[in-house]
Amino acid sequence: MRPTRDTVAGLLGLGLSIWLFALTWGLPKSPFVPIGPDFYPRIVLAVTAILSLALIAGDRLARRRRQPAAPVARNYRLVALTFLVFGVYVLALPALGFRLATLLFLAGLQVLLEPPRSRGRWLTVAAVAIVASFGIFAVFEHYLSVLLPRGAWTGF
Amino acid sequence: MFELLADGLLNVIQLKYLIPLAIGTLIGVVGGALPGITITMTVIMVLPFTFGLEPLQGLAAMIGVYVGGESGGLITATLIGIPGKPSSISTTFDGFPMARKGEPGRAVWLGIWASFFGGLLGGVFLIGATGWLADIALRFGPWEFFALFIFALSMVAGLTEESLAKGLLAGAFGLIITTFGSDPIMSVPRFTMGSQFLVGGFPFLPVLIGIFAFAQLMTDIERARSLAGSDASAGQLVNLAVSQTRVVGEILARPFLLLWSTFIGILIGVLPAIGGSAASVMAYDQAKKLSRHPERFGTGTPEGIIASEASNNANVGGSLVTIMAFGIPGDAVTAVMLGAMTIHGIQSGPLFMSQETTLAYGIFAAYLLAHPIMLAIMAVGARWFLRIVTIPKSILIPMVLVLCVVGAYALNNTMDSVWVLGLFGLVGYGLVKLGFPLAPLILGLILGDQIEVNLVRALMTDSDLWLFVTRPISAFLLALSVLSVVLALWQRRRQRRGPTEPDVDF
Repeated sequence: MRPTRDTVAGLLGLGLSIWLFALTWGLPKSPFVPIGPDFYPRIVLAVTAILSLALIAGDRLARRRRQPAAPVARNYRLVALTFLVFGVYVLALPALGFRLATLLFLAGLQVLLEPPRSRGRWLTVAAVAIVASFGIFAVFEHYLSVLLPRGAWTGF
Repeated sequence: MFELLADGLLNVIQLKYLIPLAIGTLIGVVGGALPGITITMTVIMVLPFTFGLEPLQGLAAMIGVYVGGESGGLITATLIGIPGKPSSISTTFDGFPMARKGEPGRAVWLGIWASFFGGLLGGVFLIGATGWLADIALRFGPWEFFALFIFALSMVAGLTEESLAKGLLAGAFGLIITTFGSDPIMSVPRFTMGSQFLVGGFPFLPVLIGIFAFAQLMTDIERARSLAGSDASAGQLVNLAVSQTRVVGEILARPFLLLWSTFIGILIGVLPAIGGSAASVMAYDQAKKLSRHPERFGTGTPEGIIASEASNNANVGGSLVTIMAFGIPGDAVTAVMLGAMTIHGIQSGPLFMSQETTLAYGIFAAYLLAHPIMLAIMAVGARWFLRIVTIPKSILIPMVLVLCVVGAYALNNTMDSVWVLGLFGLVGYGLVKLGFPLAPLILGLILGDQIEVNLVRALMTDSDLWLFVTRPISAFLLALSVLSVVLALWQRRRQRRGPTEPDVDF
């Protein structure tokens, strides 16, 4: 039988609380302070573990009654690619600098989310990428005194 | 109080505050009008621009976004039947039919004026109640604060539409995130996995922005069949000419409806982490139940528009009360504002009114002034804002992500915060897919440190655990916590639901 969403959620919660609870054994205690750094996390983690077990148990009990949900079309591939493009952008920021990395990210993600089918749309993609990347940099650096990253490879 | 308010107003009408307030209101109206871009998302986008400003300038801009956003959503809701934000959903019920009957101007302006009056009445409550509630909170000891925060968490967890266990678990996850980093008593690093960056704990704003922005945007991406421009009819200009005196008269001729909707909005705003959408739906429902002609609701009756819009703007005033008096955010927008205040070294909570009096009255003044500014913006641009919905999401989503990165980076000029943003983006999206509500998570994240500090402080003052239930206010609040959980369990027994996906905004 395939585990349901609630069982997965409960197992993840249980796993996280057991792992972090185990880490609290290594926390140092002071002889002068009766309440150590492990006191509060242990309470929270114990509560989390109990709630996770309750979620799993509730899910097992409710499984017989539940109607299967209607399938909904979801574009998970596009979500995964967006996360990937975002990860590459964050990696590229210190190397390429804000302006260049943002220009490529804005252009790339626009194309990924809605591939342009006309020349006008390509021009819009390019215009948004150029104006936003250089515009945001200029506004933050000149007017708001916030320095955005310059590229280690490009110096730009 | 009136003298301080007058000082606040005189202060905020200076151009250096008025300009960020007006720009914030304009951005709020635009963000509110954009379907799929919530006010939370708009305030997250504005956030990095406030880092370099004075605290009151930044807060004025955010209050402008908040007030403008609550009103901006009604334009698309009435004219094309697509709510610009969740709290405008009930405005579509009567606003859109009225506009389709050939009265678009009346529908839009009823909404705008109802927002104006509802918002200002919410402001009266904000100004009158904040100091009074803060005075009560000043008498609280650590037992009462601990009980208050537990009550807030349990109530929010209980109000979520998913299972109670998931609501409580989401709150607990928020508390767990705050245990990373140095403990508040001995500064012993906890769960840092050897990372120097984590000694200070996860920075609040990147976590908050990551969870919210990614949960919202990725859900939009996976659901959308096309991310190109929206409704073709939206690009057209509509004639919104109408007699303003007649519209104002229509609202003021229904004083009970206006006051009752405003009261509901304020009440929902005061309750932690429940947003304007709950307020407007509840006010609409109440207006229908109390009406002599409930059958007219849904066909374009003015009562429906007035109830929905007056309540969602009054909700803003209520939300600001809890953040200023107790340091508990009324919704996600005030949670971001709380983070922005922390960056400027301002601690919200019971001492805020007495220690930051000028700033507090500046906030009141900015809130009051945001309403006439909103009115002016609508008068000039309401018919143009409809064109905004033609901006494709394929442009908006990358722009929002870039501004999130800027917001995270600008906090302390390190890429570590940007990685935290990405990490919690994944966490936020994962939690939504697993069916966890985000409101209790965010509240747990905000209150976690305070819960620990007050619990430890109470036990170090007196190790007797019975004090939590023998001190009257603490006992009362803990009893309310138990009651909210029991009520939630009882309600769920009555209405068994199938699996749902939680709303990513609150």
